[in-house]
Amino acid sequence: MTFLRAFALVALASFAVASPAAPDADFARLIHDRLKVSPVLKGEFEQTKTLKGFRNPLVSKGEFLVARGQGVWWHTQQPFESTLVVTKTRLFTRNADGSAGNLMDAQAEPGLQQVNELVFSLLSADLDVLADRFAIVAQPVGAAGWTLVLTPRDPNLAKFLVRATLAGERDVQTVRIDEARGDVTQIRFAHQVPSAALGADEAARFR
Amino acid sequence: MSLAADQRSARRLRWQAAAWLWLAFCGVVAVHQWTFWRAPRLGTDVMALLPQDEQAPEVGRATHQLADQLTRQVVVMIGAPDWAGARRAADAWQHAIDAAQAPLKSSPLAGADALRDAMAFYAPYRDRLLTPAQRDQLAHAPPQSLVQDALAALARPGGFALADWNADPLGLWPQWWAARAGDTRARPRDGQLALSDGGLEWIALLRETTGPAFALTGESPVADALAKAGAAALAAAPGVKVLAGGVPLHAEYAAARAHHEIDTIGWGSVAGVLLLAFLAFRSLWPRLLMALSLLVGMATALSATAWVFGEVNLLTMVFGASLVGCAEDYGLYYFANRQGTPDAPPLALMARLLPGLALALLTSVLGYVALGLPPFPGLRQMALFSVVGIAGTFATTVCWFPWIDRGAPLRGRFSDRIAASFARWPRFGATRAAWIAHGVFVLACGVAIAFLHVNDDLRQLQSSPTALVDAQREIGRLLGLPSPAQFFIVRGASADDVLRREEDLKSRLDARVAAGELAGYRALSDWVPSRARQASDAALTKRVEDGVIAGVDRVVGEAQQRAAFDAQPLTLARWLASPASTAARSLWIGAVPRRGDGTAFASVVMLRGVRDLAALPGIARSADGLPGVRWVDQVQSVSALLGRYRHMMGLLLAAGHAAVLLALAWRYGRRAWRAWAPTAVATLGTLALLALFGQPLQLFNVLALALLLGIGIDYGIFLLERGGADAGSAWLAVVLGAAGTWLSFGLLALSSTPALRSFGLTLLFGILIVWFTAPLYRPRTATVPKAS
Repeated sequence: MTFLRAFALVALASFAVASPAAPDADFARLIHDRLKVSPVLKGEFEQTKTLKGFRNPLVSKGEFLVARGQGVWWHTQQPFESTLVVTKTRLFTRNADGSAGNLMDAQAEPGLQQVNELVFSLLSADLDVLADRFAIVAQPVGAAGWTLVLTPRDPNLAKFLVRATLAGERDVQTVRIDEARGDVTQIRFAHQVPSAALGADEAARFR
Repeated sequence: MSLAADQRSARRLRWQAAAWLWLAFCGVVAVHQWTFWRAPRLGTDVMALLPQDEQAPEVGRATHQLADQLTRQVVVMIGAPDWAGARRAADAWQHAIDAAQAPLKSSPLAGADALRDAMAFYAPYRDRLLTPAQRDQLAHAPPQSLVQDALAALARPGGFALADWNADPLGLWPQWWAARAGDTRARPRDGQLALSDGGLEWIALLRETTGPAFALTGESPVADALAKAGAAALAAAPGVKVLAGGVPLHAEYAAARAHHEIDTIGWGSVAGVLLLAFLAFRSLWPRLLMALSLLVGMATALSATAWVFGEVNLLTMVFGASLVGCAEDYGLYYFANRQGTPDAPPLALMARLLPGLALALLTSVLGYVALGLPPFPGLRQMALFSVVGIAGTFATTVCWFPWIDRGAPLRGRFSDRIAASFARWPRFGATRAAWIAHGVFVLACGVAIAFLHVNDDLRQLQSSPTALVDAQREIGRLLGLPSPAQFFIVRGASADDVLRREEDLKSRLDARVAAGELAGYRALSDWVPSRARQASDAALTKRVEDGVIAGVDRVVGEAQQRAAFDAQPLTLARWLASPASTAARSLWIGAVPRRGDGTAFASVVMLRGVRDLAALPGIARSADGLPGVRWVDQVQSVSALLGRYRHMMGLLLAAGHAAVLLALAWRYGRRAWRAWAPTAVATLGTLALLALFGQPLQLFNVLALALLLGIGIDYGIFLLERGGADAGSAWLAVVLGAAGTWLSFGLLALSSTPALRSFGLTLLFGILIVWFTAPLYRPRTATVPKAS
């Protein structure tokens, strides 16, 4: 069964996740005191991606919806229409005309679930899940603010992802993802509105 | 008187010469045996017993290649509801297994560097590596929707791309790798191989055995260590599931059980046989001499087989050795008569017994030679082995026993009573009642035999415990391992030819995957597509991606150029020379001789997750009409092989009976049937009893019936040969012989190894019947042309 070992090798290392570790007490208290997590959160975002080979950063704007335990709905409105839906089990995009643009997800790949969880928990600041995979350094900023720097525990993941940085007060306000290839994604959230549950039309977005 | 004395001394001289000659011959055999056992060439490949023309060389090579990977690998899977529990249990397991100092070494996982290197190797060829779904989509999707997909990907938070955007604007590359990684479901996680299934987090732990494949000591170090480590894992995380599988576990179990059975059944039968011999002869010396004669016979047979065939198949040895077992009765016959007529000089007695013994030898040889007639190498080996073995035992008995028998064995009450019982035994006369009884018997047997069902399925010979088999199956399912028993072999005139033919096969298999009969397949052409496929895919991606890059440029205001790729196609030779081929190299068989002349090339296409056995025929038909593609089902071909051997041996058994009857007629004329009838009755009766007990008929029953022929006819001859006053001695030989055979072979019916059990059960019935019917057919008066 040499192939088994060898396939471990070719298995998408980027999809691996890291060892569990209890968040340290200071960090736990800090975040517990400052970050208010609500079951449903919606708002607007502005994303700036700096990609290798591109002269200018790619700036996109849109609206988002995070439902704890269900998924993330990511609706890009500018400069083009596109919708990304991430749930525990699926990751799919919808084009402007409503057609499913699922090129990225044609294969049923077990690693997909892991990358889903990763994106999902970064966007929703699901710290229980994140603490399993990342070494987290927390710092208070001012009276109400905080910064979390997340470094992958798994060396395989570290080959793709250098770090993720989350900052905010009551809510997560910015997320920055530094990839090993040099690509950087910066996201700024605004007009965030918490609520207790999803509306019916909102729940339909995850199906 | 002096004439007789001269004759006697001449006979003595001849016998002496024969004894010394035989000793010299045994010396040669001993030397050969000594060299043979220093490096025994014992074949274990059952398929090697197939007729040569039926097995293409590439099938054998593929089988070996696949089996080599499996023979040492032990896979343990630990499943817990959460990852932390699984890790804790896995750590405890690893500590325990290292502490147990079992002959198991860990197989290290390949590092992340190996993955990076493999990606670097493939990067220049990215443009010509597509999955079937990608190819379909690129060819048919409208260009504008592909631009939309690329834009959507750019809008996603994070990218985790494997290549620069202009080298892979549609993100095809990670998907291609995901498809390659899809050959197994396990993924690296915290330095372990992990997967999620059924709400459990699983860790796969791989170990390799370092000891010999078969321990003959009867210990099971691997299973013991695994049990301890499993307990440690349970202690560390209560409620975890621990599964262990791998060929070494099955082999160790079989070896340990065989050892256990030898301990109980084997020693039990040895004790029984020794006790009988002691009771009958008041000494163990005769028994020792008989054992010596068997030993010489086996050694001679082994040497002869090794000399003629180059190697001895293990199966040949086991069954050949069993068939030689009947030769032991020669010694028994001698000693029983020696006891019956203690005053006769040993040489004179042997001379008198010689015609009967020779006829017994001749009939057994005829029966077993018939086995060697068809062009089955296995049967020929077996025939040679048993014929030489019987002859060797015969020669030892005849040449040596008169010199070393240490005088006639003492008579005792036990042997006297057996000898005396013969006279009281009923006998068939030529009465109407006897005829009717026979008619009814044959009719009843015929009816029963009509209900006898045949089953050659290899799987019924599976003797591993259910728990082990279930764990094995579960591990295979969890990891999505391809089956080593069913696969396709693809041949072609060149490596590229093989790859092209694989691609034809794969397009048919994709339909089976879509129909849910199959989870997937592993093929070389997934890693190195054919030149034609590479050229067409490269052209496709160039056309599509140029358009996508231009479309995205327009939307976001960039001016990107598509990256350049290698102008040369990826060749199999380059791939094989690179470490990137580690994962799939075993699929390449390489150059194989072509029928006629020259060489061809071949590869294996393996199947993953076959839905059930019913799906196999449909999958097999995928090869229909494709040149160079051949379906191989090892389970089926071994089953078919067993079936053909059974059928062939059944016919030969009938031929053997006929030949034996002719040989008997040559000496006994119209009375010949009396020596044959007990065996014929026993054969019929055994088949009927097997049917009655619902036992399936298979090769091992037929083999046992061949042995029954050899043994039963001997008894018939002994009883027919020694009429009158000597009849009691002949009967004693029959009783002791039958009881001994019954103890040594019949007790195999208690074995839990299915092949041995059906062999034993057949003899259990057969010997019993032949034992009790043989005296029924004795003539009213002593027979026979009195020998010199």
